[in-house]
Amino acid sequence: MFSLFYGLWKYMFTKMEFHVLILGIGKAGKTTFLEKVKSQYSNLEGLPPDRIVPTVGLNIGRVEASNTKLVFWDLGGQPGLRSIWEKYYEEAHAVVYVIDASCQSRFEDSKSALEKVLRHEDLQGAPLLILANKQDCEGAVPADELSQYLDLKKLNERVYAFQAVSATDGLGIKESVNWLVDAMERSERTDMLRGRAGSSVV
Amino acid sequence: MGIVFTRLFSSLFGNKEARILVLGLDNAGKTTILYRLQMGEVVSTIPTIGFNVETVQYNNIKFQVWDLGGQTSIRPYWRCYFPNTQAIIYVVDSSDTDRLVIAKEEFHAILEEEELKGAVVLLFANKQDLPGALDDAAITEALELHKIKNRQWSIFKTSAIKGEGLFEGLDWLSNTLKSGGG
Repeated sequence: MFSLFYGLWKYMFTKMEFHVLILGIGKAGKTTFLEKVKSQYSNLEGLPPDRIVPTVGLNIGRVEASNTKLVFWDLGGQPGLRSIWEKYYEEAHAVVYVIDASCQSRFEDSKSALEKVLRHEDLQGAPLLILANKQDCEGAVPADELSQYLDLKKLNERVYAFQAVSATDGLGIKESVNWLVDAMERSERTDMLRGRAGSSVV
Repeated sequence: MGIVFTRLFSSLFGNKEARILVLGLDNAGKTTILYRLQMGEVVSTIPTIGFNVETVQYNNIKFQVWDLGGQTSIRPYWRCYFPNTQAIIYVVDSSDTDRLVIAKEEFHAILEEEELKGAVVLLFANKQDLPGALDDAAITEALELHKIKNRQWSIFKTSAIKGEGLFEGLDWLSNTLKSGGG
């Protein structure tokens, strides 16, 4: 009986914890984005960009924004490592997909990897934020141009947005986090995941 | 007051210290890795019964590295060393495909330990110099690393004999420990 009330209490008053998956092909800037978020939203100083090495594994960032707890999962994007992405889908509330907007020759690879992500049924209904990263670099295409290029027709039902960012100088980071929090709070997927977590508590 | 200055001083100039455990099955290469890191040479080793401990200074971090013997009969004693550990280096013999299942089980048992909940995890897919050694992606798969969702981890292809990949791993470790860890 006690555990029932405790579960209910926890359900109602515990701050919701959102899991955000950061995906994208290698060298897109996923970890740099995460470190920038960490430095802006927590008292940890993020790693300076020149110290960041290619991720082979998982980086985690825990931050609080707009009264919610966010847990970022940043996974390595090199071809051999993409096979583990899908193991994290089931528990993710939203996806951030990072694209190097200054490197047009790799758009095709980015696009096909993204399409594969979106086809996966474990990510149904998860809000998607696509970052046109590296806006500080020469030749970076703006967000709307990138969206035209990607031409994602199957996104109709999914909540999504494009955002121009520069993970090195911080452009667009706040907007990205605000959008994510807002989208996850409204998302039906959040209710679905919460329902599942709630039933396992009680 | 003195404490404040001491803290300030050590945060400005001092070295961080980190306690690291090197774990893995017997014959994975733990002791060779330890001495490769510490002295930069390959030493000839015998199976470790008990432990070796050395201090390795790297990137302004003093790593106190404990290499614990990996044979079945002495694995239960690993837990005596778990308290106050910031990181685990788990070493896998990438060419010993027959025992990957055991390596996986031991690894996940370690992750369950309450006292190691806060430790970050670095994996060395060791013995890359041997023919038939599996690469990092294959070891990731075999050890089911994707089940780790609440702490940071990374895997590196290493060859303790050739000295490859070890310091890349320590780079990751020092970055991760500095930026707040798992």
